[in-house]
Amino acid sequence: MLWYKAWLETRWRFVFMLGSALMVWLAPQWLPSFGFRLPPGVPASRIWMAVHLGSVLLYIVAASFLAGSGVNTQTTYAATSGFHGSMLFTLSLPVSRRRLLLVRAGLGAVQTGVLVAIMAGYTLLQRPGGASAVEAAEYIARAIACTMAVYALSVLLACVLDEMWQFYAAGLCWIAFYLLQSRFAFVSWISPLRGMSLFSYPLTAPMPWAPVVASLVFAGVCLCASVLVLQRKEY
Amino acid sequence: MNDIIIAADGLSKSYEGKPALRSLRLEVPRGSICGFLGRNGAGKTTTLKLLLGMLRRDAGSIRLFGEPVDSEASSIAARRRLGFVSEDKDLYPFMTVEQTIRFTRPFFPGWRRDLEEKYLDLFQLPRKKAVPKLSRGMRTQLMLLLAMARGAELLLMDEPTSGLDPAMTEDVLRILAGLAASEGTTIFFSSHQLAEVEQICDRVCIIDQGQVVIDGMLDDLKSEYRRILLVFDGVPPRELASLAGVDHLRQRGRTASLLAHGDVDGLVDRARELRPSSVEVRPVTLKELFLDHVRGE
Repeated sequence: MLWYKAWLETRWRFVFMLGSALMVWLAPQWLPSFGFRLPPGVPASRIWMAVHLGSVLLYIVAASFLAGSGVNTQTTYAATSGFHGSMLFTLSLPVSRRRLLLVRAGLGAVQTGVLVAIMAGYTLLQRPGGASAVEAAEYIARAIACTMAVYALSVLLACVLDEMWQFYAAGLCWIAFYLLQSRFAFVSWISPLRGMSLFSYPLTAPMPWAPVVASLVFAGVCLCASVLVLQRKEY
Repeated sequence: MNDIIIAADGLSKSYEGKPALRSLRLEVPRGSICGFLGRNGAGKTTTLKLLLGMLRRDAGSIRLFGEPVDSEASSIAARRRLGFVSEDKDLYPFMTVEQTIRFTRPFFPGWRRDLEEKYLDLFQLPRKKAVPKLSRGMRTQLMLLLAMARGAELLLMDEPTSGLDPAMTEDVLRILAGLAASEGTTIFFSSHQLAEVEQICDRVCIIDQGQVVIDGMLDDLKSEYRRILLVFDGVPPRELASLAGVDHLRQRGRTASLLAHGDVDGLVDRARELRPSSVEVRPVTLKELFLDHVRGE
């Protein structure tokens, strides 16, 4: 029943993100009617690159939104303010905190994965010349894997910060990470941001396994840390 | 079967170095309705949260249903047998009444559909109504339903009647008394309302500054404690305070008011030796007991 509760709690956020993705897809049809037109001579590959980067941004927003608000709303509601809402009712149920967090985080991960898969699939459809089945599968898989790093970090932040601060903190973390990856080659080699970036993987190159694996490991570590934080938290 | 449902010994808890509970000792027998009284910040909610495993204790031990609660697993096992009503009565705002019941039911193997239906009808709770649209009274009723239908042996309640109007308060108290009588449920609830505690409780525990100052059967306490009013011709003598059996002494002008327990007759005899012009012995109310112990008046 925890899955049922998690779904009821997060479904509108999931639908909202789906709607946001839909608006991005429909934007090319709408924009010309508002007078927005690309200058002549822009190569189709450049346009696709822009679509891809837009999708990556959407992955990050979706992951932060679904993790932050989803996990935080009841599981670690108002982490520092002392107001716990229905969390006291949840904690009075005969269920472990680890299970509470893993179910909520698990559902959010599934929702994030579905959103990223849909968005990545759409992005591939816009690619000039299309993509082979293997290329498409690899593209979607790395998008999901790297987004999970973003998602899990947001879950962890949701366990220690109030909702208001989570997004700022997540943004700061990723800016710091971006600076690190531009300075240190090793960080760049394993970076989820590089994993999601088109520049590291123009579909014809070999699959960038290092950032994919590193992202999944990082996500696992963040989730374990979240469980530990929640188990030690006092309400 | 263990006759002590709640047993806490040496329970201590501090928040950022400030003690909230100091070696609290508490015992609640099976089937009793125990009122847990104290001023704001006395440690009532902290005690309830420690019993439920929402807080970690600094020291001491807790036994629920006769079993030690010293790990998450033992806390979960205990929570399977109890119900909790929080002060704010917050339930999930994204669920309806029916969804809340459907969600809670599977956690409790002993869930009783007959009680669920009984209390749904009794409270006339609208099944399809979203929780945020329920009044505070209805949310209290829904929480009571969730606690009772699970077949809880113990109800822990943090100020269950706070924010309720007098009629609703009366209904809730009547239901609790009925529950203890019909199902044998043990009820342990914190409150500021002395009148409601006096109305339904057979046992009282008063806590002040993190320590239990009075604990016992309400009737026993009322028969054990007496107010002795002494009027003197001049200022009451200082020796009054040192008489054995005097819990609290209050002086105003020529009058001394003693809260006493134990051998009250012997105390009165000793007080007479101090030559008061009049002596009056009165029974005490719970309010007097409470105020004398938490304010030291």
